[in-house]
Amino acid sequence: MKRYILGLAALVAGLSTLTNPIVASAADVTILNVSYDPTRELYQDFNAAFAKYWQAKTGDKVTVKASHGGSGKQARAIIDGLDADVATLALAYDVDQLYEKGKLIPKDWQKRLPHNSSPYTSTIVFLVRKGNPKGIKDWNDVVKPGVSVITPNPKTSGGARWNYLAAWAYALKNNNNDEAKAKEFVGKLFKNVPVLDTGARGATTTFVERGIGDVLLAWENEAFLAQKELGPDKFEIVVPSLSILAEPPVTVVDKVANKRGTAAVAKAYLEYLYTEEGQEIAAKNYYRPTLESVAKKYEKQFPKINLITIDDVFGGWAKAQKTHFADGGTFDEIYQK
Amino acid sequence: MKFKLKTITSALVTGGILLGSHSAFANDSDELEKLRALVQDLDQKIRVLDRKNELAEEAAAAKKKETPILNASEKGFGFKSADGNFEIKLKGVVQADGRYFESGQNTVTQAASGASTAGYLTSEDANTGSLLRRVRPTIEGTVFDKYDFRFTEEFGEDKVTSNSGIVDAYIDARFDPSFKLRVGKFKPFVGLERLQSAADIKFIERSYVTNALLPNRDLGAAIHGDLFEGKLNYSLGIYNGVADGGDIKTSADVNKDKDYSARLFATPFKNDDTPLAGLGFGLAATYGDVSGQVKDTVNGSTSELTSGYKSEGQQTIFKYIDGTVLRSGLGGTASNVVGTPSVSGVASDPGADWLAKADGRRYRFAPQASYYYGPFGVLAEYARVSEQVGVGRTSANTVTLNHEAWEIGASYLVTGEDASFKGVKPKQNFDFNKGTWGAWELAARYSELNLDDDTFVFGTSSGAIAGNSVTKAQATALNTTKHWLYADPKTSVKSAHTWTTGINWYLNPEVKFSLNYLYTTFDGGGGPETSTGTPRAGTGTLVSNNSASLTSNAKAKDREDEKAIFVRAQIAF
Repeated sequence: MKRYILGLAALVAGLSTLTNPIVASAADVTILNVSYDPTRELYQDFNAAFAKYWQAKTGDKVTVKASHGGSGKQARAIIDGLDADVATLALAYDVDQLYEKGKLIPKDWQKRLPHNSSPYTSTIVFLVRKGNPKGIKDWNDVVKPGVSVITPNPKTSGGARWNYLAAWAYALKNNNNDEAKAKEFVGKLFKNVPVLDTGARGATTTFVERGIGDVLLAWENEAFLAQKELGPDKFEIVVPSLSILAEPPVTVVDKVANKRGTAAVAKAYLEYLYTEEGQEIAAKNYYRPTLESVAKKYEKQFPKINLITIDDVFGGWAKAQKTHFADGGTFDEIYQK
Repeated sequence: MKFKLKTITSALVTGGILLGSHSAFANDSDELEKLRALVQDLDQKIRVLDRKNELAEEAAAAKKKETPILNASEKGFGFKSADGNFEIKLKGVVQADGRYFESGQNTVTQAASGASTAGYLTSEDANTGSLLRRVRPTIEGTVFDKYDFRFTEEFGEDKVTSNSGIVDAYIDARFDPSFKLRVGKFKPFVGLERLQSAADIKFIERSYVTNALLPNRDLGAAIHGDLFEGKLNYSLGIYNGVADGGDIKTSADVNKDKDYSARLFATPFKNDDTPLAGLGFGLAATYGDVSGQVKDTVNGSTSELTSGYKSEGQQTIFKYIDGTVLRSGLGGTASNVVGTPSVSGVASDPGADWLAKADGRRYRFAPQASYYYGPFGVLAEYARVSEQVGVGRTSANTVTLNHEAWEIGASYLVTGEDASFKGVKPKQNFDFNKGTWGAWELAARYSELNLDDDTFVFGTSSGAIAGNSVTKAQATALNTTKHWLYADPKTSVKSAHTWTTGINWYLNPEVKFSLNYLYTTFDGGGGPETSTGTPRAGTGTLVSNNSASLTSNAKAKDREDEKAIFVRAQIAF
């Protein structure tokens, strides 16, 4: 009996060394970050930094692949089966759909990381041609006849939804919260839109590279990037009197990460966005950092804007989405192709 | 005064000219501005149109990546997902045959009389005439990139011999090119000619190797794969076990014993730049240990012992002693000849005690080879089955019988296409208007079947046991009456030798016409040399003076030579 037990123990020990070798070998891990449209440069820099950090910490080599597109479209792609280990989208509603439609994340996903899982924020500004030939200073200028406005499609783009809501909020403020007037205002805005791209980066391409339009309603970081990449002698940034606080959230896509065995590295990846290095990278790419020390360091880079929040004006994303962007919502009534 | 007037007038006129010029200039500027604005406006509109086109193209390209691909071409019909991971194909084979027998065909009257000069006619045997040899629609496909499935139903003549019309129904999991798992009903990985698709065989009917000795379809599971860059194919399988390649029937397994198969097939020069690139050779084997039930059904057998071998003309030329043979060999109706034991109570009824059965081990051994070089192709195969066969309800008379068959067939595409194991793609499809004639192929084959001499033993079997409705006297009579134990050489051949020549015309990759001339000679199986009376000597008379009877060891004459012309029109996609 004793010999049998000893033999069995030896066999188990032997088998366990096959599965858990005494000397651990470095692993190669690949994760996929499915992100919204304008974050290419941000995540190019961030991924390199995280890979270096992770290798130094664990010895493992991590390769982060990235996919970029309109936030709503990206969310739908993940729900339809795109194996995203992490999702870094433009707005919380799109991430909520990963739970509502796919049960890919827990319901309380937003509580898992600081600042409602938004490591950086942004807002909406105007990018105009050098010299601002159409004299665009505020929202009421973009609805004037003869002004060509570039903005992406709110049905697919998160940035476009922020644009729309910022315009609506301005109209409410200047019309005693009259919803009908706000609808009329935003209707006029979209009448001035000659072409709708699917995402923010596409809209930037339309305005900057194709030379279409007088004003681009842009993510703040996109506007700064366009200026930086193509020269300040070509474009100007105009800060409207009122804009919206955009809080792009991030989450691990638990079902995928657990299936692929990448949950730990995916969590670490997102947590690294909140570190000093992660926040520096965000700031250098013109995203407003949430870490106070870094925010203070870069505060001169970002203009001061009167920001409203989606919760204050629209009652939250779920309500805003249902009212404005769902099929048959206000946008469908306003915009006729 | 005059000067002053002149000066003033000049001044006034000059002033007027200047004023006029300035006004004209101001109008030109306005026009220019308007033109500039118009040009800018037009420029923007053109840019917008270009951008919309660009976005539409991007959307179309993105949609194309998700849009299923519909296929209707010479490769078949079907559709698959944009990423190729899911696919379904509709395929099919229809073969319409015509058969003309110059000599050697069975006739109904011969079977009814029992005094057959050409063996027994079964319901599956066909005369001169036409038939739908195969009508097989197939649904096959892939799910999740690696899991293939195939379902084929038979609606043609083959169905007659089959309990169920299902030919193939299996799943093939391609975990890796070197490791695949197939489960269901399929061709066991044994015979080379059998593994060739019915649409691609060079002759209208396969050889004795395939149609007699090696299995056709079986129910089971096999692992298989390709090693060494596809130069070595292997397979290992476990199946319910079937007796032969005669038909696609697979009935329920009557015992817990299984058949095992193994096969290796090498193409060592594959993809090399050498005339030997098309050479392939291999070896297959099967092993089973069966103890089948007595062949006590009226018409056929259990799956453990062949229900009969056929000539290339598709006529039954060999049968072990089953209910049909017993009835014809002794005369009488089914109810008083076949029973376990007799149900009629007729004293001389041998019943189940004289029926042959599989009783023990069965081995098969099949070396095989093929060679293709340019338009020339050869396929050669040998098969040997060693099986233990018994009589009656005990194992007292069990013997080991070794049957063998071999064949060698050659083909040549006179129109110059490359020969291969899989079909022929004409260089130019047949088009009468264009004067192109498809592909033409000549083929010739020799095939031979040899039954073990010990199959034809005339003696007594000690299998009858008294009890139930068999009295002691009846059992004694059964055990002491000499008869052909396993097969009767007067009605079953000892060997068959077939020459086949053929022409194949491939109109296009999917339509083929074939013409074969078959010439077969036989040893035995042609009835008694001298004939006295008929086996129908009454109701179940055990001992008879009839030379055609199962209890007569009259010498057998050779079955009439079978000379036939077969034609086939085939569509396969």
